[in-house]
Amino acid sequence: MSGLIEVLVNGISSGAVYALIALGFVIIFKATEVINFAHPSLLLAGGYAVAELHDDIGFWLALLVGIATTAVLAALVEMLVLRRMRGRDHSVLSIVTIGVDIVLTVELARRIGTRVLPIGDPWGSAVVRFGDVTIAQTRIAAIVVAFVAIAAFLLAFKYTSWGVAMRATAEKRETAALMGVRLGRVSAGAWAVAGVFAVLAAVFLCVFPTPGLDRTVSFAALKALPAAVLGGIDSTTGALVGGLLIGITEAAVIGYQGDIGLFSHGFADVAPYLVMIVVLLVRPAGLFGTREAARV
Amino acid sequence: MNTTFRRGRAAAVAAVTMSLVLAAAACSGKASEGGGDGDVKTGPGVTDDKITVTALTDLTGVYAALGKGVTQAQKLYFDGLNKQGGVCGRDVELVVRDHGYDVQKALAAYSEMAPKSAAIPQLIGSPITMALRSRIENDKLLTIPQAWAHTLLGSKYVQVTGTTYDIDMINAISFLRDKQGVKSGDTIGHLRLEGDYGQSALAGVKYAAEKGGLKVAEQQVKPTDADMTAQVAAFRRANVKAILVSVAPRQAASLVGVAAASGLKVPMVGSNSAFAQQLLATPAGPAFEASYYIAQASPPISADVPGLKKLAADYQAAYKGEPLDLSVVSGYSTAAVIGEALKRACAKKDLTREGIVNAHRDGTTVDLGLGLPKEDYTQWTKAAARATYISRPDKNVLGGTKVEVASFESPEAKSYDPPAG
Amino acid sequence: MSRKLLWVGAAVLLVLPPFYLDAFWLQSGLFAMSAAIGAIGLNVLTGAAGQLSLGHAFFLALGAYGYIWLAGGDERTAGIELTGLGLPTLLAAVLAVLLAGLVGGLFAPLAGRLRGASLGIATLALVFLGQHVLFRAEGVTGGANGRDVPPLNVFGLEFADSPEPVLVLGIPFNGLEKLWFLGLVLLAGAAWFARGVLASRPGRALNTIRDHEIAAGALGVPVARTRAAAFVLSSMYAGLAGVLFALIYRRTVPDTFGLALSLDYLAMIVIGGLGTVGGAVLGAVFVSMLQPLLTRYADGIPFVAASGSAGPSPAEAARIIYGVVFVAVLLFLPTGLAGGLSRLTSRLRRRRPGTTPNPPASNPSREESTA
Repeated sequence: MSGLIEVLVNGISSGAVYALIALGFVIIFKATEVINFAHPSLLLAGGYAVAELHDDIGFWLALLVGIATTAVLAALVEMLVLRRMRGRDHSVLSIVTIGVDIVLTVELARRIGTRVLPIGDPWGSAVVRFGDVTIAQTRIAAIVVAFVAIAAFLLAFKYTSWGVAMRATAEKRETAALMGVRLGRVSAGAWAVAGVFAVLAAVFLCVFPTPGLDRTVSFAALKALPAAVLGGIDSTTGALVGGLLIGITEAAVIGYQGDIGLFSHGFADVAPYLVMIVVLLVRPAGLFGTREAARV
Repeated sequence: MNTTFRRGRAAAVAAVTMSLVLAAAACSGKASEGGGDGDVKTGPGVTDDKITVTALTDLTGVYAALGKGVTQAQKLYFDGLNKQGGVCGRDVELVVRDHGYDVQKALAAYSEMAPKSAAIPQLIGSPITMALRSRIENDKLLTIPQAWAHTLLGSKYVQVTGTTYDIDMINAISFLRDKQGVKSGDTIGHLRLEGDYGQSALAGVKYAAEKGGLKVAEQQVKPTDADMTAQVAAFRRANVKAILVSVAPRQAASLVGVAAASGLKVPMVGSNSAFAQQLLATPAGPAFEASYYIAQASPPISADVPGLKKLAADYQAAYKGEPLDLSVVSGYSTAAVIGEALKRACAKKDLTREGIVNAHRDGTTVDLGLGLPKEDYTQWTKAAARATYISRPDKNVLGGTKVEVASFESPEAKSYDPPAG
Repeated sequence: MSRKLLWVGAAVLLVLPPFYLDAFWLQSGLFAMSAAIGAIGLNVLTGAAGQLSLGHAFFLALGAYGYIWLAGGDERTAGIELTGLGLPTLLAAVLAVLLAGLVGGLFAPLAGRLRGASLGIATLALVFLGQHVLFRAEGVTGGANGRDVPPLNVFGLEFADSPEPVLVLGIPFNGLEKLWFLGLVLLAGAAWFARGVLASRPGRALNTIRDHEIAAGALGVPVARTRAAAFVLSSMYAGLAGVLFALIYRRTVPDTFGLALSLDYLAMIVIGGLGTVGGAVLGAVFVSMLQPLLTRYADGIPFVAASGSAGPSPAEAARIIYGVVFVAVLLFLPTGLAGGLSRLTSRLRRRRPGTTPNPPASNPSREESTA
């Protein structure tokens, strides 16, 4: 029983982190119809900023600076690269982000070098015990922070003028532009918000029980991509549900891998994709995605 | 349209170009091959004033930490060798090619450099070594992989130095039984990576566990995994008395940290690839110092050996601020294996590839004064050495590890016969 | 110079390398040919039909490992029991291409229904599932260590190194030299066939679906079936590229066939120019040659430190330059390298009218008409 609870908490905690990353994909897709293959490098950039700065200015200030730099970096990618290519095919826009990712990742990996950088978080390796159940404080912090951030975003998405503009843009670009929505500002804003979520995710990917930040942290972004697709690449609810689903599946498969048999080693990595194919066969637009109206 | 005219002209142009090509091909440089100057027989990679050796390393991939240290240490060795006059009056030039732990890139780099090289003093990566093995044998290139899976044994041209992972694990289990109170009937955990490294270590763990009446709880992880919570929980359920660790440093750090936090206080012994000095600066550092050991053939650089002290000083002078970890000793000593083979081949006046390999395999062992166990290079189906140092992390010593138990060879390791690959 | 003369000149130039260049160049060139074949296939799907596929690496793997398994024998290496059917290698190569097509066909229900980015993400799943299977199915693939590739043997002509290679004009002809000509033939065939498809009815149907799905349906184009067919064709091209890839490297590991490879292929067709055969070939050469070249000659790039010392290493610098050029081409050449090249040549032609005594070629290139 205690094992099950630990698996569930671990699953929800990493699921919440995946949801943060998946939400980044979704926000960018909604605003610009681009699958952002540069997301892994944004993750790395945020984590790197926090890890390098926390020694000098403390964790919380470092986190703020990290969030600010990554948001600016993400917005710059949008303004310097994607905006200059407006009107081109969307798959081309997605592909140009691959090039951006190569440049950013190589430079960050070079700076990180062979080090493992501690992130300097206040929770350390402390744990909370409820009877038999041991849960790391970082797990609880991850859940709380992720849900607060996502809730704040959803509220902003619903009630602020930027949120309304963004929803209008996602609905119909041209009409939104005619109604006076400034598309550039909406897109850059979306990229910045996705960058903020990436930093939060990066921090929780590098805290206990992982040793710290190294160049492999960016791989986590790829795990979150199916989360975004599973839920529907244009659905914020979908990102949340997809992230949790994948986090819990993964924790369950790892937690019980001894019971499933040797063949299943590494199965955790592909379970999400199996689920994804099944979901897409039934609902091509994902669980919560917008269905295409026209059928032929 | 005047197609006939055009076709005629095209044909004429083609014919003229073709004949030019063929005439030129006859004197293309590709046809020639090296030979030798009366005195010393030479082969590919050896000119009148230079011997080229190639390091196929990882400077941008997952083993970049290892690759950088090994490469710098090898440069240090060859620079020293050249200062003493080189080999046969020739300078030894180390060419470095980075493959980023990508097999296809490594194959391309090998295709480029193999025809121009006399030996390969560094080849990082088990899968890469396996992929290149048949070509290395074809090309007769003496090669030293920076990998220690026993499945790499069995080739005359591929020299796995020191002990293999399985033998380190056998000696580690002997250490756990003698010094850490693990006894017959106990369960020990084994955390390992998928692939050669983990498989090879597992072979040793299983062998020694059977000899000592121990049960083994295995957990396999992938190189990209970074959170060992579930694995620690499984070890706790299995009530393990010790854990053997055959993973990358990243997973080891998570294992040690999670075990300490969840109250699993058992000794852990890792292979040489399961620790990095940098980990001592992370929050898991104190836990490493409390319960972690490393089993490997070469001594930690802090060991009280004059040769090591000199190496440490030279390395620090050449590469200021670079970590002095296990890779430095490994790189320097493997470069020396090639250097010595070249010197003996020179003495026999045969610097062909076959000559270099035969000189290497002639049974002479050279003591570099680095505290390494005696290695036997005459056989290639067995590990070159069977004695292991046990060291432990300590952030206050040079290189981050110090000797716990000096080099020893357990009876189980003596009788062990690794299945050749 | 007339167009035909240019072609003849190019053909002669392509025959030259085995007589002059060493193994590194031949291998890189062959790799580019294999990439070009795969990219042509992807360009039919993504460029002409507007279907984004991230699963190309999976079909390359099917071709490569299909060939190895069909042609390989039972053996034991490094503690792994390998199996194989031991078929004649030529038959195995053909069957491997068909296998890739067949599996592509199995994916057709999805490929026909999904469009654009959704298909891209669904095919992403194929790459990850495929790699999982490749790593686990040790008997077929050799697991993480990979497996040797049996050399191709066409009616007694073996595409492998031998201790005493045949001398052609005094040049020893080893595996790579022979493969060079096989690669040229395969690439020419693949390009010719794809141009035929793109310039005829099916190609126009694909373009119509890409540009307006509903209109295409209304015009009587069977949308789902045409899309599925494009997917199968593209899978077979990938399969062929995979077979050639395996033959060139003589060893394949599952690690190769990951998402990065799929992304490389997408980069090729976008950089080269979407929807044209020439674009796919140019892009393939660009993407597959630029990085090895940069890595090899990076020692000469200013501000780059030698391998194993501080500052960006040659390998890092090479990768950064690759990324920057990648973005720059997409930013400044909207129609890709192929489009940029044809603009350049037409501008040159206009600037020096006197140098073209013959009227412009009577048949404008088909590439331009389909672009």
